[in-house]
Amino acid sequence: MIQKKICMLGSFAVGKTSLVRRFVESIYTDKYHTTVGVKVDKKIVKVGEQETTLLLWDLEGSETEHDLRKSYLRGASGYLLVADGTRKDTLYHVLSLQSRAEETLGPVPFLLLLNKSDLTDMWEIDDRERSAIEQKKWKIIDTSAKTGQGVEDAFLSLTEKMMEKHNG
Amino acid sequence: MQSDAPDVLDQELTASSSNDDESMAELRTLLLGPAEKQIAEVHERLTDPRRQLKEVSHVLPAAIRSRKDDELTDALAPTVAAALQQSVRKNPKPLADAIFPIIGPAIRKAIAAALSGMVQSLNQSMTYSLSVKGLQWRFEALRTGKSFAEVVLLKTLRYRVEQVFLIHKETGLLLQQASAPGIKVQDADMVSAMLTAIQDFVHDSFATPKDDELETLQVGELTVWIERGPLAVLAAVIRGNAPQDLRTVLQETLERIHLQFGQALSEFQGDASPFEDTAPLLEDCLEAHYDTGQDSTIRRRITPLTVVASLILIGLLVWGFFWFRDKRRWDGYVERLRNEPGIVVSEDGTREGKRFLSGLRDPLARDPNSVMQEFQINPTDVVSHWEPFQSLTPEFALSRARSLLSPPATVRFSVKDGALVAEGFATHEWVTETRRAARFLPGLAGIHDEKLLDLNRIQDPLLMFQLDRSELVPGQDEKFNLLVGDIERLQAIAVELKKNVRLEISGHADGTGTEARNAVLSEERARTIATALESRLPKWPNLTIHAVGSRERVKEEVTEADRATNRSVKFRVIATDVQ
Repeated sequence: MIQKKICMLGSFAVGKTSLVRRFVESIYTDKYHTTVGVKVDKKIVKVGEQETTLLLWDLEGSETEHDLRKSYLRGASGYLLVADGTRKDTLYHVLSLQSRAEETLGPVPFLLLLNKSDLTDMWEIDDRERSAIEQKKWKIIDTSAKTGQGVEDAFLSLTEKMMEKHNG
Repeated sequence: MQSDAPDVLDQELTASSSNDDESMAELRTLLLGPAEKQIAEVHERLTDPRRQLKEVSHVLPAAIRSRKDDELTDALAPTVAAALQQSVRKNPKPLADAIFPIIGPAIRKAIAAALSGMVQSLNQSMTYSLSVKGLQWRFEALRTGKSFAEVVLLKTLRYRVEQVFLIHKETGLLLQQASAPGIKVQDADMVSAMLTAIQDFVHDSFATPKDDELETLQVGELTVWIERGPLAVLAAVIRGNAPQDLRTVLQETLERIHLQFGQALSEFQGDASPFEDTAPLLEDCLEAHYDTGQDSTIRRRITPLTVVASLILIGLLVWGFFWFRDKRRWDGYVERLRNEPGIVVSEDGTREGKRFLSGLRDPLARDPNSVMQEFQINPTDVVSHWEPFQSLTPEFALSRARSLLSPPATVRFSVKDGALVAEGFATHEWVTETRRAARFLPGLAGIHDEKLLDLNRIQDPLLMFQLDRSELVPGQDEKFNLLVGDIERLQAIAVELKKNVRLEISGHADGTGTEARNAVLSEERARTIATALESRLPKWPNLTIHAVGSRERVKEEVTEADRATNRSVKFRVIATDVQ
């Protein structure tokens, strides 16, 4: 059994926690976000024959750069960036989060999750922006906490990427 | 023109010199060509820094190794010191990490020494009242060699390490976990991650100097102790009050893990299987100490001293048993001897390692050695010294009398009132001898012989008969009466002694007359007396009267008086034993 630490980063109220709630094992409640600034969940993912346990550090939603606690990032093998598709500023924030993460962790695998994809009429991310991001070689997955769309896929993809990196 | 000549000369010179040069060059090339190449190469080697570097690096390790003396060390020392200094200045972490496994014990040693001094003074100032517990603990301190204060601290502890987590420091991932029996642990991996997050949180929020880290979490009865190493963190969940010793245990365990698993720790990418072997190390930390006094830290070590002491104790017990047994036997023996008639014990003790006994012993008394056997005492272990003496107790007087006088079966001896009592009947010789000797018997004051019948009183007398007649010569009534009386006495004694007696009456005749007549006569005479006796004596079952005639003469006949003697009847007493 392999264990990996991954982090989940994003602004306030992008729906990080509700996104994964159904898919992870939890023993800690959300209040940890406001007290300690992080909540740890567990997800077991099977890639081929290999089972991997992901320790998911769900970091407190941040608004400014200062909010990101670098110490929580330490040792992560990968991370998920979550933005709210109905609020463009969250996407910009995520971009800066990514650079800070990469500063701390180096070039570890990550994914961008565009959440609340069920709210199509409130969607603020247009194709131009999407392709700009894709050009940076980022993988984007559209997710919805409501429907659960894309979540399993996100974990699976990230794990695959991390295994690739691991196995060299 | 002279000016031309030099020019031409010059030209020519120059030309020739240039020709010379050319040829010189050619010559040089021919001669020195190969060598030149080499020289150029060497030149390059010496001047090209990269090549120089290569060269030196090739030979440098060997060169250093070949220098085994102090010169190299001396040369390098300042450089190394300066390098270390700079390294520490730039970033102390690598160096600290490198020496982490050893620095811990070194520091602890120093602290322990300092503390023991403190504990001593604590001991003195500790006023533990004269309670039973206090005294017990003082005794235990003496016995185990710990100071009293230590014992007190130990005694008041009660705690249990319930869980131990080994966590990868950087990622917060769980490497290995151990828990005490009965403790359920769920989601240890999430707990480890959260614990790591909390440590980071505390450090970020509160720690001022960079190295302050969270060490203890306390909630109610539970305490979480966190020990940090360069690559891994050890967290222990403790219920109760644990001593600082336990921290040391955790630290040592962490150090050992870094030593043994250092490489695995630094290469950790998420696979925790290499750390399964840390389980025993973690389990060793799951200590539990209870207040009931059965403290496992004060281990009852089976030291050689206790073994020897127990052996000695057993030996003492065994020896004690044997000594007691032997003493009892001896005392019994001596007591018995003291009570034995004819033996007087005067001294009872030990001489030269053997038991010693001395006293007086009547030769007729029991042999002390046979008494020894009764008490299972080995005669070779005893030295005895018995002086012969004559006991004057009635028993011994009697025994002595018996052995001296040899009474026949028809006589019975006893002692009464300090005098010998002889009952029965015996020959005259014996009776006379006895009567005489009885005066000299030690311990006996004379002899009572009323019931001792001298058989000669019966066997001596002759009852005379008239010539050629079976009638008694007159005037023998008294003699006859006496005889009867004696026979009666004989009978009575016989009854008492339970003996049967046969009275043989033999008649005789003198030499005159015919043999036939004499035979008849003698028989008649005997029968006469027998009849007379039977009429006089009661019928006693134990007395038989036997009348016979006899051809024997009583006396050689010379004178008439002799012939008269032969005309008689004589008695003989024969005793037979009880059927």
